[in-house]
Amino acid sequence: MLVINGPYSDSEHEEPGHPERPERLVSAMAGVEDLHLGSDLIVAPTYSASRAELVRVHSGNYLDELGAFCYSGGGDIDQDTYATMDSWAIAKLAAGAGLKVIEELQRRNDGVGFVAARPPGHHALADRAMGFCLLNNVAVASAELLSQGERVLIIDWDVHHGNGTQQIFWDEPNVLYVSTHQWPLFPGSGSVSEVGGRHATDRTVNIPLPPGATGDVMRRAIDDIAGPVIDTFDPTWVLVSAGFDAHRDDPMADLRLTSGDFALMARCVSDFAPRPGRVVMFLEGGYDLDALRSSVHATLSAALGHSYEAEAPSNGGPGTEHVARMHQARRLAIEMLYASDATETT
Amino acid sequence: MKPLQNLAVGYDGSPDAAIAVRWAFGTARETGATVTIVHATGLLEHLHERFSPDRLPPALLALAEECEFNTSSLRWLVEDGDACSVLLRMGSPPVNADVLVVGSRGQGKRVGLLIGSTSLEVVEHATLPVVVVPSSNATP
Repeated sequence: MLVINGPYSDSEHEEPGHPERPERLVSAMAGVEDLHLGSDLIVAPTYSASRAELVRVHSGNYLDELGAFCYSGGGDIDQDTYATMDSWAIAKLAAGAGLKVIEELQRRNDGVGFVAARPPGHHALADRAMGFCLLNNVAVASAELLSQGERVLIIDWDVHHGNGTQQIFWDEPNVLYVSTHQWPLFPGSGSVSEVGGRHATDRTVNIPLPPGATGDVMRRAIDDIAGPVIDTFDPTWVLVSAGFDAHRDDPMADLRLTSGDFALMARCVSDFAPRPGRVVMFLEGGYDLDALRSSVHATLSAALGHSYEAEAPSNGGPGTEHVARMHQARRLAIEMLYASDATETT
Repeated sequence: MKPLQNLAVGYDGSPDAAIAVRWAFGTARETGATVTIVHATGLLEHLHERFSPDRLPPALLALAEECEFNTSSLRWLVEDGDACSVLLRMGSPPVNADVLVVGSRGQGKRVGLLIGSTSLEVVEHATLPVVVVPSSNATP
């Protein structure tokens, strides 16, 4: 059973020529329709996140400024990010979508969730929009689960590092943030040595991959580096920042993944959930419309346990040698953090 | 106050950024400081490859010549990230800027809002002194 939220009628959040465009949702939903789920497809109700739900992860000043900016007509927020007069309302719907999917999964105690909403969210900081993102959708959903006493694993396989999500939960011990991303690349953060704050050491796992890296390298890094940390953390929910711009056809970056790789990743992250009804995928990036459709199809198919002949998984790209070095660099960063803590204590 | 040794200037190719660069060149010439001109490579730039990290834009060389600034004291840095985040990193190694110089934009119909103005965002969050150089179109 697939529980989705979206798509919304969001053509009002659009800037001519911009790659983060309404057609992305059409492609993502075509990927959902390709599953032919019939009555196993549940559409959760539309919901606009409340201020109380948003201020768990964003500053009140920022929310006021963003709302005022949109109401005054919008415009370019930075060199990448835009907002229109309607973007404030649409962004709140995108932020609220995950909340309703979670509610529905909890009610049914079964299924996989998919949030087909835009604008994406994982670059949005507590007090700043950036990287096409206005509100951090996955963070708003995580904060709700935290308020219920859950331990949340966020897996972010978008090709760009989710700096906003990392910043928001930097010092939160009940959130484990794991990101695979191309490096160097926008936003410039996401090095292996970023391991979390003093109260959440080892709760951030960054896996930067070189341009040209393939799915086999990503899977090995998840197994070798993130796997043991996830096992120790023992999550009760798994939320996925599912960007599909690491696909080899995507124009925004240079990784070489296929839809088959996303299927394998989906199967892998589903195994981290303690039981059915505890995995939600959030659409982040993905700008080649065909790749987006096939990747959404493959990902959800795998998460649901269906058989689907996706593109063959990729392999043979660079980065295998990085994985061993990443492991050592992480250990060193954690030891240094503990050592500096000990020095300050004495 | 310690003497100025390194000015970092944000540059996006706009006329206002050029005004900030001129101000930095003039100040550095008087103080003997080096100038690091930094360009933030955003998401969209990946589609267009606007600025190369290996080559100083001709417009900057022309500005240096116009300001009679010795290019041996000039560094060019292209960093991944949004403009605000990249500029805020300039106070840290390896650049270790003493002062951050930015052009003034985002004024007008949304005066007072941080959103949409890199210079105001930088001023809000910076941990080092920031010089905001007024636009040529600024009105008193």
